[in-house]
Amino acid sequence: KKSMSWFGFGFNGFGQIVPKRTGGKDEGADKVLSPVVLERSLCTCEGRTSSNPTNKSETSEPEVKVAASWSQIAAIQINGDPHVCISGFISDSHEQHQRLAPESKGCQEALISERYLTLRFADRVECWSLKPSGKSLVWSGVQDVSADTGSTVTLPLVPGGYIASKPPLFRPISSKLCAVSLALGTEHAVLLTSSGSVYSWGSGSHGQLGHGSLVSEDEPRALEALLGVPMKYVAAGGWHSACISAGGDLYVWGWNESGQIGLPSKGLKDQSQRESSTETGELMVDKREDNVFIAIQAFPALVDVPEESEIRKVSCGSRHTASITNSGNLYTWGWGHYGQLGHGSKCSSDEPKVVEYFSNGGMIVEDVVCGPWNTFVSAAPRDHPTS
Amino acid sequence: MAKVWRDVQAVLPATEPEFPLVFSEIVEPSVLATLELTRELLYRASDFSACAEKAQIIIDYSWEKLNTGTWRDVDKEWRRVYSYGCLFKVIGTCHGDASQAKVQEAIRTCDMGLLMGASIMDNILQRLVNVLKNKVKTQLPGEVEDTDQPCPKQKPKKDRMAEPKIDAAMSVPRVKCPALESFRSGFLMHQKPVILEGIIDHWPAFREHTWSIDYLRAVAGCRTVPVELGSRYTDEDWSQRLLTVNEFIDRYIVDEEAVGLGYLAQHQLFDQVPELKEDIRIPDYCCLGEGDEDDITINAWFGPGGTISPLHQDPQQNFLAQMYLLISFLTGKQVVGRKYIRLYSLEQTENLYPHQSQLLHNTSQVDVENPDVIQFPNFTKASYQECVLHPGEVLFIPKQHWHYVRSLELSFSVSFWWS
Repeated sequence: KKSMSWFGFGFNGFGQIVPKRTGGKDEGADKVLSPVVLERSLCTCEGRTSSNPTNKSETSEPEVKVAASWSQIAAIQINGDPHVCISGFISDSHEQHQRLAPESKGCQEALISERYLTLRFADRVECWSLKPSGKSLVWSGVQDVSADTGSTVTLPLVPGGYIASKPPLFRPISSKLCAVSLALGTEHAVLLTSSGSVYSWGSGSHGQLGHGSLVSEDEPRALEALLGVPMKYVAAGGWHSACISAGGDLYVWGWNESGQIGLPSKGLKDQSQRESSTETGELMVDKREDNVFIAIQAFPALVDVPEESEIRKVSCGSRHTASITNSGNLYTWGWGHYGQLGHGSKCSSDEPKVVEYFSNGGMIVEDVVCGPWNTFVSAAPRDHPTS
Repeated sequence: MAKVWRDVQAVLPATEPEFPLVFSEIVEPSVLATLELTRELLYRASDFSACAEKAQIIIDYSWEKLNTGTWRDVDKEWRRVYSYGCLFKVIGTCHGDASQAKVQEAIRTCDMGLLMGASIMDNILQRLVNVLKNKVKTQLPGEVEDTDQPCPKQKPKKDRMAEPKIDAAMSVPRVKCPALESFRSGFLMHQKPVILEGIIDHWPAFREHTWSIDYLRAVAGCRTVPVELGSRYTDEDWSQRLLTVNEFIDRYIVDEEAVGLGYLAQHQLFDQVPELKEDIRIPDYCCLGEGDEDDITINAWFGPGGTISPLHQDPQQNFLAQMYLLISFLTGKQVVGRKYIRLYSLEQTENLYPHQSQLLHNTSQVDVENPDVIQFPNFTKASYQECVLHPGEVLFIPKQHWHYVRSLELSFSVSFWWS
């Protein structure tokens, strides 16, 4: 995949997107409002992609995946000499200049949270705790090398269950469910099965489970509203969830306080009223009593993306949502105070809006990964063929 | 407005070492680093705008923690972090040219910290708001006597909500200033409701500053409070909003065309506005309980006529006191504050059809004054007591005794939950 680059926008409080110089006036601001190329922040290893440095024909562009926590990014180089580089908040002074995570050599996939780095290798999965005193291995399990389903099951799924974001780290999942993909929100989980069914469990306080109520569930429960429509992708954010059907339709449900569901949000209207009133010094009294606002969407709702095109991928941050269409456009909506929507402002939006930086810039978006308050996108110029 | 900053600064620790930032392990290193950096920006760099920006990051992050799990599950450390975020934001806001709008914004930030955070640095947010509220330009109560002032939503007497006819057989008994022992043996011991007359006559709210809308505006007008919108909390369109007391009064008390009901309900206003607490007293009869006076929860209930608390029960004993509110009409002054209240004992529970859900199991499904007799046939079998509670009276609602409350006019109640 030549000429593919990663971009980032949104929260930059720890220099994850635009590095901050240490010991001086901060170079990067805390908010990056428009997409910025990530090269400098991603990997300091300068593309050591070949294990045999003398064999030039093997060298190729490093292929990188990205995972993000609130304060850090993990850049996972998956070809050549696979490893993970972490940038952003540095708690361990020894690691000031060393961003390569030594324990990650050879890994195929990684997830990162404020407390843990989870690494999947060919033969095992490891969970490392990230403490100021240094990383320590807190859980490991054997990866099922023998089973060949044609596609490897992705993190946080592991044989027999999944790795949660807080202890107990390993949690079992019944094999009867035939889980192929799992998305973890702040306090809920959304699962995709091999037959295209969606299950959810955890806290339901904001409708994020999609069963039509605010009741929490201890065990995986099928989303009846989606029965009969096979799904191909699931995602979970702070208090909302999303899935894409085989036919490319996007469904979102959960909390809509910043418009992250893509439905009219009263919270947005109140916020903009309050902001304009502090500027003018007066209070705008809203006498209209609108019934069309949705605070919580407890059943999956079909999202209207302005294009005819099908949806290929979706990712959820804490309070925002990003999705890619088959035609390679990126749409974002929800909370935007840190620039995580990428429209060049700090506005939130309750309607999907295309990120013009890519569409007007002649780029085709390949992948999107949301951190809690930021968004990472891989894109390439439209003219160049991608594999 | 440089005087604002000077007075705010006087409340803050003089030096960085005197500004504590100590948290349990639950606060992640990245968050602690942000807090420490913000303190540095304040004391070393004097970079107040950067301080305000970092403050917002701390507020946003801890706000997400506050919304994770049930309120009871939220670790107190996150509420402390939230308060620190509010503190830093207030400091950033008040520095330099602090206009009226900025002062109001700072008060609002203090109130958010008081409402959702936990006490830090010797309740510094309360101390700050006490300084800031004196910087807000308001009209003094004495000035608002002329008839040009908007009158409350109160309709003239003849249109006022009709007082329900109380059946003498079902009426809650009234006793005037009973001795402690009479109350204990006559009512508390056997958990019987009673209206106590004359026991709050000595409150400063009735003697020194008679409460009025203008007085409430003067004392608490700029303070942010939670308001319930919608008819009742069991309705689908029920919601909560944060408004200043002035906004609440403007939109839901005074406004002739207010759409829907607004109710400042179940809010510990007297902790938030200590000046108001000096106008009331904890009823002596609370000493008959086993708990500490410090553990008594005092709530304010302030709203127009028509607010309803659906039939429900609470886990503690309750003294519900009706305040006098003095209202100015074109025709003269009037005292208002009546509520219709119906009571069912715990034994009647089966006839009251409580909700099954965990969230609402202490609330009945039945609309008391308009019951669906087909869906809830046994409701009419349930025996009850009822009353109209007048200003100056106190209703004793025994622990776990079902109660339904509807205000007949503009009303301010104070409830004391004690054990």
